[in-house]
Amino acid sequence: MNPKPWWAKLGHGSLMLLATVYCVFPIYFMLVQSLKTPEEDVFGNPFIVMNPTLENFEELFERKSEVRGFVGDALRRSYPFLDWLANTLFIFVGSVAATLVIGVAAAYALGRLRPPGFRWWRRAIFAAYVIPQTLLFIPLYQVVITLGLDDSLLALLLIYPTMALPFCVWMLSAYFQHLPREIEEAALIEGASRATAFFRIILPMSRPVLVAAGIFTLGTVASDFMIASVFLLTPNNQTITAGLGTFDVALDELAAVAGVNLLAIPVVTISAVFARGYVRGLTAAMVEGA
Amino acid sequence: MSLPGSARRREIRLAYLLLSPALLLLLTVLAYPIGWELWTSLTDLSPLSDGPQAFVGFENYRRFLGDAEFWRAAAVTVVYAAVTSVAKLALGLGFALLLARPFRGRALVFLAIFLPWAYPAGVSVIGWYWTLNPPTRTAYAPFMGHLKYVVDGAFGGGAWAFVSVILFNIWRGSSFIGVLLLAGINAIPPELFECALLESKSAWRRFHLVTVPLLKPFLALGVFLSLTSAFADLANVWLLTAGRIVFPVIGTHAYWLVIKAGQYGPASALSLTLVPFLLVVLLVLFRLFDPWEENPA
Repeated sequence: MNPKPWWAKLGHGSLMLLATVYCVFPIYFMLVQSLKTPEEDVFGNPFIVMNPTLENFEELFERKSEVRGFVGDALRRSYPFLDWLANTLFIFVGSVAATLVIGVAAAYALGRLRPPGFRWWRRAIFAAYVIPQTLLFIPLYQVVITLGLDDSLLALLLIYPTMALPFCVWMLSAYFQHLPREIEEAALIEGASRATAFFRIILPMSRPVLVAAGIFTLGTVASDFMIASVFLLTPNNQTITAGLGTFDVALDELAAVAGVNLLAIPVVTISAVFARGYVRGLTAAMVEGA
Repeated sequence: MSLPGSARRREIRLAYLLLSPALLLLLTVLAYPIGWELWTSLTDLSPLSDGPQAFVGFENYRRFLGDAEFWRAAAVTVVYAAVTSVAKLALGLGFALLLARPFRGRALVFLAIFLPWAYPAGVSVIGWYWTLNPPTRTAYAPFMGHLKYVVDGAFGGGAWAFVSVILFNIWRGSSFIGVLLLAGINAIPPELFECALLESKSAWRRFHLVTVPLLKPFLALGVFLSLTSAFADLANVWLLTAGRIVFPVIGTHAYWLVIKAGQYGPASALSLTLVPFLLVVLLVLFRLFDPWEENPA
């Protein structure tokens, strides 16, 4: 190809810059705020931080902070942030694992074993997305209480997988369905069992699609605010999301933004590591798929 | 299928067995609640009234038709869903096309575009709220306050909060759709683009005749997920306006009926009005990303 003229390069470059700034700026801004001292928050330039400090992050972990100022305890509530962190990790890891196991089982059934009407099963499962989550928490509360799970993290472990499951089942089963039959049959003829053929051949082949399903689940679970705040009541049982929702807006703004970032760091890191696999998996599912 | 009957029957039994955990989970968490909502929408259930729950038929639904507030919420919902979906698709398509061809620094730009979706939205919405509505002592509070008054002054009170909801939705959604469409573009064999390059000099024609038709399944999926997230949105609107909702969407209006007046019946009916629309959209879009007819493999 002939080399591009300078103005095309310039245009391309500035579009890149624009897209990057648009996507990253809000996150950058939150990061800057969380590194500020209260003085700089009031008098400094909002876009940069001159004396970065981690005191806002440290403050999150001080369970019993001393009372400062004259208003007393109201100004300095303490937060069980370590518990929140542990709960959040437990819920995120648990939900992704549960969704993948249940989703792969269902997808294998629909895409490989193909019971009668398997396409309709798949569509019916995907159609779960037409149900608006708006008021679902009211009857869900009855379910959760009947199961004895109120104010328990297990309630979230029950609910979160269903938010990502329809998409994951659809994607995985479309992928499984279009793997050639011979892949498994060769192994079956050799005398391997169905399970062996699945774990040794199909599962390793599907790695990118599994990554895509996992990252989608993580993104979905991490985006929930509603369910976490409705079902987790005692502070020690809350996740970071639910806990931050109870922060006093005007008083703890810096600490809260620090909390936001603290949750974001692991989630974003994991997503970034698998980002390429995520794209590859989506491609594989849609093309080799439906 | 060359399998003998008994083996096939075993296979089918195994299939249902493997399917059962997923179905059980969906039935518990979705089917029962939606059934409850359907039944409640036909009654006058309210925790505030002492009398027994009475069956009122379609009364709750009928009341909406004459209720100006309902039509306002419906209109706002439609505008919200339409504006965000169009913007997300346009931006997402732009991102995907930018990233389609290799260039220096592509990996970094890709990560930047992936970031808004990967950043946990349950908390980034909190960060957005405080960024857009800072406590008055912060350095940029006067600027944000000014912006708010300008927008509210031009479009009426609450407009700025509504704009911020739209901006947040677009920011996060365009990232998701951009990555989804990039996956779609990656799926198009490069030879097709090379052929197209020989066939036509116009970049627009190539885009319109080659790229768009091949991206259709991805576009359809993106539109559907975008619409469902906007139509059923409650948490984002609630959080970004701190509950001071001037422009109610269906979701927040239903929630308001519940927490303010305990009107479970009308609220259920309200949130269910969305289902038929989404179902129709889904049925139309299924043809694009999960075709009815397929050659048996």
